[in-house]
Amino acid sequence: MKFLLYLLLALVVVPFQTTLLHYFSIFGVRPDLGLVAACLVGFLGGELDGLILGLLLGCFQDMLSAGDLWINVVTKGGGGFLAGLAGRHMAHITPAVLTAGLAIISCLSSAVFLYSMNPAGIDEVWMGVRSTVLVQAGFDALVGAGLYLLFRQRWSDDRMVTEGAL
Amino acid sequence: MAISRSTYGTRRLAIVLFACLLVALFLLPSQSQRLLQYVGGPLGQILSVPLAAFSSVDHGISETWNAYLALQSVHEENRQLHRDLELLKGQNNQLRESVAATQRYETLLNFKQQSPSQTLAAQVIGRDATNWYGGMILNKGEGDGVRVEMGVVTPAGVVGRIVKTNSTSSVVLLVTDPNNAIAGVVQRTRDEGIVEGTSHGRARLKYIPLLSRVQAGDRVVTSGLTGTFPRGLAIGGLTQVEKSEGDLFQSAEIEPEVDLSKLDEVLIITAPYEDADSAQKLLQEIRGDRKKP
Repeated sequence: MKFLLYLLLALVVVPFQTTLLHYFSIFGVRPDLGLVAACLVGFLGGELDGLILGLLLGCFQDMLSAGDLWINVVTKGGGGFLAGLAGRHMAHITPAVLTAGLAIISCLSSAVFLYSMNPAGIDEVWMGVRSTVLVQAGFDALVGAGLYLLFRQRWSDDRMVTEGAL
Repeated sequence: MAISRSTYGTRRLAIVLFACLLVALFLLPSQSQRLLQYVGGPLGQILSVPLAAFSSVDHGISETWNAYLALQSVHEENRQLHRDLELLKGQNNQLRESVAATQRYETLLNFKQQSPSQTLAAQVIGRDATNWYGGMILNKGEGDGVRVEMGVVTPAGVVGRIVKTNSTSSVVLLVTDPNNAIAGVVQRTRDEGIVEGTSHGRARLKYIPLLSRVQAGDRVVTSGLTGTFPRGLAIGGLTQVEKSEGDLFQSAEIEPEVDLSKLDEVLIITAPYEDADSAQKLLQEIRGDRKKP
């Protein structure tokens, strides 16, 4: 059931990302909703959930991207997994912690993309960092924190129920 | 629905599988790509349904905004003028190429042979899923005869080439992406080079011979050396030529002819040249005409 839910989420997020999200771009950079979703689910649901959703989102994103077929699978799957590991070791997730965590994972994910582009020199790396990595990290963190604040009540209820059950 | 913590065994299995996936991707990249491509086929069909739905919403939003909120008549007129301009740019380019071609021996014949013949119209339905690649998603895929490495153009010039396809859609790598490389030729001097994208969203003509007299303002067209594009399609104009001391080649920055941020419809070149029979007939026809006088 949960897998179907994640599949449905991926089928909504990825087409939204490719068709409508350009209306919300800043300096030509859009937030990576796939990464945000995988990390949020990882933070709040555990590393397995983050990994599964990340792999699904990555697979769909790779199909609609000009890059190699592995890159989104690895970055989104890895991002969701890392977020799950981080979430496991936190007793209390606050928006500030979530924002910082998302920004760090976004930077790591972007670093993989940047590496895969084979930049010609340090100037191109710096250019990529300034023009895309930092903007996207900030954007991802803000969108993630916004979504968390929007659905915080529901998530905290789920977490309490789950932890109580455990 | 409660999102529960997974058991230790399942988690460990997932981690092992993910690690195996990573190892496979890095040790057997081509096989892994083939496997992912194979798996991606049916997934692409599933994905095409919400993609089409979101795309129609996107078009609906832009149509509503442009047609009703932002002055309907002006917008329509502007679109018509834009279409005319694109057409005239294309015609202008063809004429320039024709003039240059007639100055050389038997170039007219080659030009006629190499003009694009079979194209397929496609609609742009989305942008690349990441911020890292200059890509666009088209609503035509393998089911329509689209294959990887086919060229994509507008009447004004080159847009890019197809790098991924599934049954219902395909992904174009734009000419401004650093991973793209197209064989180009400077129209005035006939110097050949490779057009690559830059990280600034422009393109660059590389490997221009050192003694070449290219200059800003020269136009670059496809050379026709690769099978993707026929000869003579506009790529862009040179804006700046760089010639450094000690370098073996010159390079020049190109302003692409096509405004890649405002593309709605494109043409996919399914066969860059006339088929062999008709080309042969044309050749015979022209040779026959020449012998008469």
